[in-house]
Amino acid sequence: MSRPVPIVNLREGEKGVIVSIVGGLGVRQRLSDMGLTPGTEVTVIRFAPFGPIELSVRGSNLAIGRGIATKIFVEKE
Amino acid sequence: MKKTEKKINIALAGNMNVGKSVIFNSLTGLHQHIGNWPGKTVERAEGTLHYKGYTIDVIDLPGIYSLSTFSIEELISREYIAIERPDVVINVVDAPVLERNLFFTLQLLEFGVPMIMALNQVDVARKKGIAIDYKKLQKLLGIPIIPTIAIRDVGVHKLLNEAIKIFRGKKKTKPLKIKYGKDIETRIEKIVKLFKKSGTKKFEIKYPLRYVAIKLLEGDKEIKKIVNDINPKIITVAEKYAKEIERIHGHPSATVIASQRYNIVNKIAGDVQLFTTSEKKFTEKLHNITTHKLWGYIIMFVLVLSMFFTVFSFGNFLSEYLTNIFANAGALFEETFGIGIVSKLIWSLVEGIIAGVVIVIPYILPFYFILGFLEDSGYLSRIAFLVDNIMHKIGLHGKAFIPLMLGYGCNVPACLGCRIMETQRERLIAIFVTTLVPCAAVTVIILGLVGKFLGIVWALALYVINLLIIFILGRILFKVLPGEPTGLIMEMHSYRMPHLKTVAKQTWFRVKEFIYIAFPLIVVSSFLIKLLEVANLLQPIGNMMIPITVDWLGLPVVAGIVLIFGIVRKELTLIMLATLAGTTNFALVLTPAQMIVFTLVTMFYIPCIATIAALIKDIGWKKAFYITIFEIAFAIAIGGIALRLLLLIL
Repeated sequence: MSRPVPIVNLREGEKGVIVSIVGGLGVRQRLSDMGLTPGTEVTVIRFAPFGPIELSVRGSNLAIGRGIATKIFVEKE
Repeated sequence: MKKTEKKINIALAGNMNVGKSVIFNSLTGLHQHIGNWPGKTVERAEGTLHYKGYTIDVIDLPGIYSLSTFSIEELISREYIAIERPDVVINVVDAPVLERNLFFTLQLLEFGVPMIMALNQVDVARKKGIAIDYKKLQKLLGIPIIPTIAIRDVGVHKLLNEAIKIFRGKKKTKPLKIKYGKDIETRIEKIVKLFKKSGTKKFEIKYPLRYVAIKLLEGDKEIKKIVNDINPKIITVAEKYAKEIERIHGHPSATVIASQRYNIVNKIAGDVQLFTTSEKKFTEKLHNITTHKLWGYIIMFVLVLSMFFTVFSFGNFLSEYLTNIFANAGALFEETFGIGIVSKLIWSLVEGIIAGVVIVIPYILPFYFILGFLEDSGYLSRIAFLVDNIMHKIGLHGKAFIPLMLGYGCNVPACLGCRIMETQRERLIAIFVTTLVPCAAVTVIILGLVGKFLGIVWALALYVINLLIIFILGRILFKVLPGEPTGLIMEMHSYRMPHLKTVAKQTWFRVKEFIYIAFPLIVVSSFLIKLLEVANLLQPIGNMMIPITVDWLGLPVVAGIVLIFGIVRKELTLIMLATLAGTTNFALVLTPAQMIVFTLVTMFYIPCIATIAALIKDIGWKKAFYITIFEIAFAIAIGGIALRLLLLIL
């Protein structure tokens, strides 16, 4: 286990476990509602050249804007 | 409602895109009433059906991921379930994404309402290599579960039978009691005790006390408001507890509670799901290529452009055909009733209706139908993914692309479509840029004037200029309006075969918005303008506008009159121009520069009257007024500037 990095630092296909999410209450609430809670394993599927990142989490695929993604910290597996 | 009455209220609740609406449609068929929630710009879909001697009212709650109060939709759903107390809630669950959907199910269970689960798309799950032991799930959750394939009507009637059983009390359910970690549970209990001690009755709050306690620990604003009116002391205690939980776990208590809920769900899902190997499916390959760094964009451009090309070339053909038919009818009308003032006025009413028809049938209907297919298949969310960053530059996120696309058909449903944006601020930006999108009527002008006489390159250039201006103005508005932008958090569903009935229905609802809002306005204002014409007032008005139309914009005098007509229906400007100029060969009466200026002005100068009505409905008089005034001034300014630039190069 390494120290936490923003999920945008991962490469496509890499997995990580969410350690923390920084940012406003609203964003955190939305993310946890969608299944992005601390301790959850996420896989980076791809980065779009114009912004968002596609994650696979709990069996569903989510598109997360770049700004929000920089606030999700993970430990690389 | 007394149980002796044979009337059952059912609410459908679930995540977005799980087939809730398909179930709703197949239950209620055409007996639907679509309106708005009182005072809210959220669609409220209700329907009635008769089954086994019961009158069953079904309400399709908005698709949501949680019962927190992040969005208006979530608040509405929660209040509906708490206050209206439907007899049965049918929780529609997307079987391929069981875990995430169960998160919502748990929240419904905490609500303590009588519940059934429709485990939908079990076929898709199976194809994905996920088998779900629904009987086991039923036992774990303690509620009846019906596997369904809504698009093929499988299991839908079983839902009704089950609902009736629950309603008649013939089926006793033992819903799962959700237990959080000990540190949280003890605090929930303490808060509940405080409520009981202070003598708070359940009806005062309308929500179960345990639920209220959990929500207080989560810091839910709406629940806090309610409790504050009854017993503000409890809030202070709850806030203290929330802090304690945060200290123990190192995360905000709302996150801790959500995490634990997900842990429960994760365990349940793990117990009932059996994964078999699935070969890399076609839909997955399609997803990969349509979100690809290079191919994704190429496919997007080709698809969108060919859609436009198909709709508008086919539409043009059909529109001309229809216009000819109606022209004959007009001639017949004149023959029969003469050309007196009264018959002219009456005919103007008929003309208003015809005008609506020749824009709806050839353009708007096919456009929305094709768009509906793309939407239902899941492709539009891929476009939203691809363009997210560009939209961020104007303070929106990828999802705003959808109303923007709708705008190319008609601005009216597009403005109403801006409701998918999460905050008021984003809704306003989205609505504003949407009114700048050239709708089908404007496209008729661009293609019929510039495209026909100056070539398709100039027409395309106008579209590009339009996009640039949308971008610039959107960005200015974004910078001017206070507030923080919301980022994109969007689920990307697996591609699926579009469901014809759903697409048809969606198309119809969008076209209906045009018919209900735009049609009456078009007819009435056609009549009013005819009245002006009959009273010989058009000429003086046109003359009054000379400083703008002739001096600044360099257009012929008739342009003033034509532009007034355009307020009603933009496509009419071209027809009017032909009538007033006495020819359809515009090259004889307009210079190339004039054509471009004229088109630019019509493109921007005012949202048509129907769009203004839609604006008023959604954002109120004041903002609608400002947008209108701004766009008039802007169009005039840009037209004059364009003229001076064009004279330099042409």
